[in-house]
Amino acid sequence: MTLGNTFKTSIKGLLTHKSRSILTILGIVIGITAIMLVMAVSRGAKDLILSQIQGLGSQTIIVRAGREPEGPSDFASIFTTSLKDREVQALKNPAFVRGVLAVAPNVIGSGTALYGSETKNASLLGTTTDILQALEIQPRYGAFFSEADVAAHSSVAVLGSEVKEELFGDSDAVGETIKFYDRNFKVIGVFDNIGQIGAFDIDTNIIVPVTTANQYLLGNNHYTVIMVRVESEAVIERAADDIRQTLRELHGITDPDKDDFFVATQADLAERVGTITGILSALLLSVAAISLVVGGIGIMNIMLVSVTERTREIGLRKAVGATTGDILRQFLFESVLLTSVGGVIGISLGAVLSLLASVILTRFLEVNWGFAFPITGALLGFGVSALVGLIFGIYPARQASRKSPIEALRYE
Amino acid sequence: MINNSEILLRIRGLEKIYSDDGGTETPALRGVSFDIRKGEFLAIMGPSGSGKSTLLHILGFLDRPSGGSYIFENKEMNSYNNDELAQLRNKKFGFIFQAFNLLARSSVMENVKLPLAYADVPEAKQTPIAMKAIDAVGLSHRVYHESSKLSGGEKQRVAIARALVNDPEVIFADEPTGNLDSKSGGQVMEFIDKLHNQGHTIILITHETYTAEYAERIIKLKDGLIESDEKVSSRHHAEFKK
Repeated sequence: MTLGNTFKTSIKGLLTHKSRSILTILGIVIGITAIMLVMAVSRGAKDLILSQIQGLGSQTIIVRAGREPEGPSDFASIFTTSLKDREVQALKNPAFVRGVLAVAPNVIGSGTALYGSETKNASLLGTTTDILQALEIQPRYGAFFSEADVAAHSSVAVLGSEVKEELFGDSDAVGETIKFYDRNFKVIGVFDNIGQIGAFDIDTNIIVPVTTANQYLLGNNHYTVIMVRVESEAVIERAADDIRQTLRELHGITDPDKDDFFVATQADLAERVGTITGILSALLLSVAAISLVVGGIGIMNIMLVSVTERTREIGLRKAVGATTGDILRQFLFESVLLTSVGGVIGISLGAVLSLLASVILTRFLEVNWGFAFPITGALLGFGVSALVGLIFGIYPARQASRKSPIEALRYE
Repeated sequence: MINNSEILLRIRGLEKIYSDDGGTETPALRGVSFDIRKGEFLAIMGPSGSGKSTLLHILGFLDRPSGGSYIFENKEMNSYNNDELAQLRNKKFGFIFQAFNLLARSSVMENVKLPLAYADVPEAKQTPIAMKAIDAVGLSHRVYHESSKLSGGEKQRVAIARALVNDPEVIFADEPTGNLDSKSGGQVMEFIDKLHNQGHTIILITHETYTAEYAERIIKLKDGLIESDEKVSSRHHAEFKK
């Protein structure tokens, strides 16, 4: 029998039992929908995180105190005092680190900010004027504090847009005095909506001179993060290596595994995000894969029932000339057709659901969650669904094709 | 043209033993030998359990014998593999079963086309060929009816059309009138007789004498052995018609 004819016969066979066929493919539909959804959502999440990391720019290096945490339980490793003024000065020295434009030491914290009766939980960012160059930002209203303010441990603050909004609403903030960490600060500037830059969300921060923060608010003499701006993208890796080299020499470290700091560029962070989302989606995909296996077993079960039920038909087909191969192909086509149709439905459903998810996330989480129809996911889903039909269809199809014509005809 | 002297098939000492799961062996055929000439109309009769269906299945390549030899068109059946037997069934044989064995949800046309599809007849040629066969059994007005909605007699005529659509050498009819009333049964036998007159070899299984009398020769089986093998002296239905 020609393949075209076999194909038609298979379609006819499936249409004869419409509702059963539809119920049978539900498992595959769910599995493929899940795969599509996982792929679309994890891609959306990855894009979102990457877009935040990219806010860091390709010329900024982050130097963090403490060894890179090796896991969630290794959190203590970041509480170290390894980055102090000595380190900042070393990084500023072009003899040690080449191609540096600005070095901004920072401390972070969080506390309650008060203005009149308004309160807001805000993040603290203690920094220097170099942060403007390191992150390429400028206040929208008023001005940033000066180097003199840093030197004088002045109690001046620049507000992120969200903090300003909460405390002052629409009225002017510049010139007013707020209370933060129980200390009065004069507001001298306000940032516009900036959004996430690397790990920082400037919008929720109150930015004060690092000296003020360390002396009056935190009681520290070390820094959490040093941001280093380099001349160009081309020199960033060299600069990162120089920084590692300099800090190791400064700290007498010979074994890189014992580093008490870690250095990351945008590319490093992006790579890490890729790894994490990759692991997550692999995990989710394996769950979806299980549902496909379950769906496949369902297909096999129904195909076996169908083969038994159609024993007489098989006998007749053999009597009028169907070969073993003809029957095998007919039933294999049926199961592949079933799962492929399930795959197509799953792909469409998955696409619709992930579009819906992106709309909802964008609207309610106010994040820019993009939707892109995952073509690779669709092709993969279709391929996998057809493959499931093939794998789980072989056994029933073999059972059908091996029936002796006379046994099949005699079957009651 | 029919050559009466040409031997179409020859069986010698044909045996068939069925064994069940417990290992008990039941002989259905215990050494049967005869020849069938090309164009012959043979009826095989016998009480139930005499082995007549088993014999027909083996002659029709639907089953293999346990012993003995079966030579069809000068070639031993056992020299063919299962797929070759399937192809020979398709090209050389047509089957009419007592239970009709139509594809219930398919139309008359689709049922009759079935052997053509397995013979790899091009799609475009299938419909006219099938139409001719449907015409021959007088069902032109039922071409696209679902076969399950036809009467018993009509169903058997669809089966006849299906059996003759590939213009086979031999048509096997296994109790073709067993599920029919005498009127439709008579009609079906007339069609089979017509096929014989057109040169097809007919091998008919029946336990009804009036049906067997359409044949030129009757072999009676009993307990897996030939009891008698006689020419029919009074083919009265056929003679009467002529």
